Amino acid sequence: MTQPSAAADGFGARGSLALYCAVGLIAGAIIALQISIMRIFAVGSWAHFGSLVVSLAMFGFGLTSAVMCISTQWFDRRWRGLSALALFALGPLAVASNLIAQQFPFNAIFLVSDPVQKWRLALNFVLYLMPFLAGALYLGVVFQKSQTIFNRVYFADLAGSGLCGLALLLSMYVLRPEDLILTPLVLWALGSALWFIAINERGKVFGIGIVAALTIAAHLVLPPLLDIPKIAISDYKGVSYARKFPDSQRVLEATSPFGYLEVYSSSYLHFAPGLSDNAAFNLPKMPKNAYLGLYSDSEGPSGVIRELPSEETAYYRYLPMFYPYLIKQKPETFVVQFGGGLSTALALAAGSSKVTVAEGDRGILNAFRNQKVLRDFTGDILNKPGVNVIDYDGRLYAASVRDRYDIVDLSLADSAGLSSPGGFAIIEKYSYTREAMANYMRALKPNGVLSVTLWNKEEPPKSILKLYATMAAAAREAGGQDISRKFFVASAYLSTATVLYKRDGFSDAEIATLRKHTSAMSFDEIYSPGYQPDISQQAKLLEDYRNQIFGSGLPQAGPGDPAPGAGPNDPPPPDVIDKPGEDAPPGDAPPSGAAAPEVLPSTQLGRMAWQALVNGTWPEIARDYVFDTRILTNAQPYFAAYVKVGDLPKVTDRLEILQDEWGFLLIWATLGVAAVAALSLVLLPLIFGWRTIFSRYPGKGRTIVYFACLGLGYIMVEVGLIAHFILALGNATISASVLITGMLIFSGLGSFVSERVLPNARRSMPIIFIAIGAILIGYGYFIDRALDAIGTMPYLARLFWCFVLIAPPAFLMGFPMPVAMTTLGRLGKEHMFLWAWGINGCFSVIGAALVPVLSTSFGLHSVLAVSGLAYLLAMPMFYAVLKPLDGARSLSPAAA
Amino acid sequence: MYRRSFLAASASLVSLAPGFSALAAVPKPWDGKSTPPLNNAEAFLKWGVETRGEDPKYLRMRWARFTAVVANKDATDDRNKRAFLMTPREHFVLDRNLSRAYEHAFLDIGFGVTISGPHIVSRMTQVIDVKEGDKVLEIGTGSGYQGAYLAYLTDKVWTVEIIKPLAERTRATYDKLIGEGYTEFKGVQSKNADGYYGWEEAGPFDKIIVTCGIDHIPPPLLQQLKVGGVMVIPVGPPGAQRVLKVTKEKGPDGEIKVTRSDIYGGRIVPFVPFTKLEGDTIKGTHNK
Repeated sequence: MTQPSAAADGFGARGSLALYCAVGLIAGAIIALQISIMRIFAVGSWAHFGSLVVSLAMFGFGLTSAVMCISTQWFDRRWRGLSALALFALGPLAVASNLIAQQFPFNAIFLVSDPVQKWRLALNFVLYLMPFLAGALYLGVVFQKSQTIFNRVYFADLAGSGLCGLALLLSMYVLRPEDLILTPLVLWALGSALWFIAINERGKVFGIGIVAALTIAAHLVLPPLLDIPKIAISDYKGVSYARKFPDSQRVLEATSPFGYLEVYSSSYLHFAPGLSDNAAFNLPKMPKNAYLGLYSDSEGPSGVIRELPSEETAYYRYLPMFYPYLIKQKPETFVVQFGGGLSTALALAAGSSKVTVAEGDRGILNAFRNQKVLRDFTGDILNKPGVNVIDYDGRLYAASVRDRYDIVDLSLADSAGLSSPGGFAIIEKYSYTREAMANYMRALKPNGVLSVTLWNKEEPPKSILKLYATMAAAAREAGGQDISRKFFVASAYLSTATVLYKRDGFSDAEIATLRKHTSAMSFDEIYSPGYQPDISQQAKLLEDYRNQIFGSGLPQAGPGDPAPGAGPNDPPPPDVIDKPGEDAPPGDAPPSGAAAPEVLPSTQLGRMAWQALVNGTWPEIARDYVFDTRILTNAQPYFAAYVKVGDLPKVTDRLEILQDEWGFLLIWATLGVAAVAALSLVLLPLIFGWRTIFSRYPGKGRTIVYFACLGLGYIMVEVGLIAHFILALGNATISASVLITGMLIFSGLGSFVSERVLPNARRSMPIIFIAIGAILIGYGYFIDRALDAIGTMPYLARLFWCFVLIAPPAFLMGFPMPVAMTTLGRLGKEHMFLWAWGINGCFSVIGAALVPVLSTSFGLHSVLAVSGLAYLLAMPMFYAVLKPLDGARSLSPAAA
Repeated sequence: MYRRSFLAASASLVSLAPGFSALAAVPKPWDGKSTPPLNNAEAFLKWGVETRGEDPKYLRMRWARFTAVVANKDATDDRNKRAFLMTPREHFVLDRNLSRAYEHAFLDIGFGVTISGPHIVSRMTQVIDVKEGDKVLEIGTGSGYQGAYLAYLTDKVWTVEIIKPLAERTRATYDKLIGEGYTEFKGVQSKNADGYYGWEEAGPFDKIIVTCGIDHIPPPLLQQLKVGGVMVIPVGPPGAQRVLKVTKEKGPDGEIKVTRSDIYGGRIVPFVPFTKLEGDTIKGTHNK
């Protein structure tokens, strides 16, 4: 077999250090650019669109490889010029695309109703694609010229990406999100200079230096000069409102990998989550200027409460999180999540003898511990006597601690979410899973009380039903089947719901106290031991809720009427469906005034839900209810994905009423777009070359499947593990960075070592595939336990053990790609070589889009199982890769 | 066919209208009593051009949306129907959204604020049942459309906006319209302030409409609501808002009781898919 021409006019047989460093830095710059763009979207508009834009931009790789595959010779002859062109364009394109895109932001909340927004979204796609096209062209040319030493170049590519991902993470400590792009620019400049040194074109080093200086200057100088924003913060982001208050002042700004934190003070900020309406008439004094607004990545506000003087603390009594303190005197309290400090302040004011408070967000913890402005405002709450701070997730603390508590409180851990620019993100909520709840329950003293308060602002109810079902399941897990005396539940319409769980059951006196308070606060009683609501209308209520969302809405019009002309804001009149559940439950006082006695449907549904949960008939309600009410588990920790998969085809004409589901719907749309785009790119070379270029390639179909499996499997492990590792690391950005860095570096090492298995690939690769499959499927079922244990360690130790967990599968997953690619190169299958790279890239995008769909529908463990199966499927396909070109000799170690 | 004849009729009306330039101003201020024709598109158009000096293009769009609002029972009595038909929504949207002024959807008006869709404004206003002479407080002036709508139901409207430039812009819109002859908008008092505290000097109010996000009902607003009064608050994301209705009653024991409910009297009402409007005519929905 002859060596390809690269050796003669390329990098030599072994390549140079400068070459590998250049490849590593440029690949790293591309990864860093991806993460930077995602951060810009997270802070400026909506994180989900960041992922969407970036994943589609990655099609730049598929597109480039498809084009290069069709015209291999053309690219091969011009490799020097093309690589220089790509490098000179990459930095300027990144800056220009970003600055232009930020001048044309799209507004997600108008995406359905305003056609202009769709065009803006498309413009953002195209703009952000540009730098990735340049990057892909460069890497494509390099890969093409390094077919025989592919495993080394691939090692440089992976290791460089990994290390540069880490560099970007560290740069988040000093650079604001809008300037984060400077990191990939510096990496690009260094990488480009090294590249020109490596290929002996030193004259261009000076040129790239000038271009880099101008590019960086353009990013820094142009926006102030032209008076344009570097980052378009949507007017609909929480922080935008705070900035408009006349007396608002930013009293704190902190940037770190844990998020971009801002704190504003203003007399216009008012918080009292779930406050009883009766406070207006019975509370002597409502505290003024009691809060600062805390914003993370421009989202919020979370209220940071001032240290209240004793004459103002009566206010706490009117908040729903006060419930457990009605029946516990001088309790030892554990607050699961510190947040803005309200629950902790309330616990102290309500007479707790000791308060243990956990916070997994290091950014928040550092701000409250070290920033004078917050320490002064809160009376240095975290350093008060009697307050013990746990610097990791309360969920993990509850699982491992031997201390027991009178009260465990998990109240409105997240911000009020008063504004949401486009929808609600799909975020792992591990604090609310069945496993977490069971741990809180176990951390209670005998007669201890767990109190969970959640927003109840949905109609039809969604998240609270999941919460109810999750807590009932956890109670059974923690202490037996009969849970009828263990719960007390109250809610306020379109406000909050509070679930109290008492380990050893509520006494009659306690029930009386809680009911009295519920009535005094004008909250609705949803469940208490012995409570028997009328459930005769259950079937009709469930049917009405289904019709509300998925009925046609038309049959109610009279024969002569025109069809109702309504939009999503405007449901038709109240007389079209009979009122369900007219009968008030026993114990309900007849309402005053002329209004007819009524129980609101959502209140009625909550009552039916609890009866069913206690009696074991819940599955029937879950089956018939319009939305998915499956419990939260560590495998499916989502307050999202309420639309049942079978109903998805019906939502297209009613997207606006499902606005809080847009995150979920978007992941399906992304998968669809990714699949269509990827398949068309894969098909492109097929159409052009199946009978010509590829006619000499035996086993081409199976080779395609092989690289598709690798692309799909690798990215699914990476993205899937990011969600798992939040369990231990407590933060999505850190988890993503650790995974990207760890996976790529260890896979890079695997790639480097893979050279050794090349001579015995036929025998050794099956073992590697089986090992990968076994590890991944095993991880799917057992890794959560390991991560829970790791999560309680000091942070550096957590990072170390996370890397230890990543190493075995990542190292082995570094083998299949370079072994196959080098084999293709050495067999002279040039077209297949480039195409394989493209297929791998395209299926990476599909895989990344598939992860959230699988994890919301089937659980996170299914993601690892599917990727494990993908590697096992790749095993038999590998033999097709080894087949020589028609008319050529079989690959032998000697030929390599 | 109907649409075509309607257009032809309106074109002839425009040409017949005395002095086309009169469209820039209301020829004769509203007397607080007269009502536009509620049952006939052509008569309404003629009335709008002659007595209000309004652009037939927007009058047509308003009538088309009106038919949908009525069909949907968002405005059922003649007073509320009149309020819808008389409120010139086109003056309260941004220029770039003029062609969409009467679409069902909410629209951006800058500053992170939207003008609600016409159906929900009608429905909310109808629910609070504003009587002549009622004192109404609006928290969140926004575009000014809701306040203008209320001005056709009562001459005592107070409105508070927290965002200063928006408050100023909307005040300027009212002033400009008053200058053009919409003297009914003199009944709308506005100020730039923190709506959390209501408008104590002007209270108590018969009706309160709150149109801004908040995690609790501000106690000052409950205090400024008269006994027997009604407050409405939309909750949730703009496209999927539910309207919370709050009533304040005094029990036999003299204790004040606040009751939360929805605006549908405890009924589950089905969502109706987007209307497909062709000109002024409803042609089913987009899923038919």
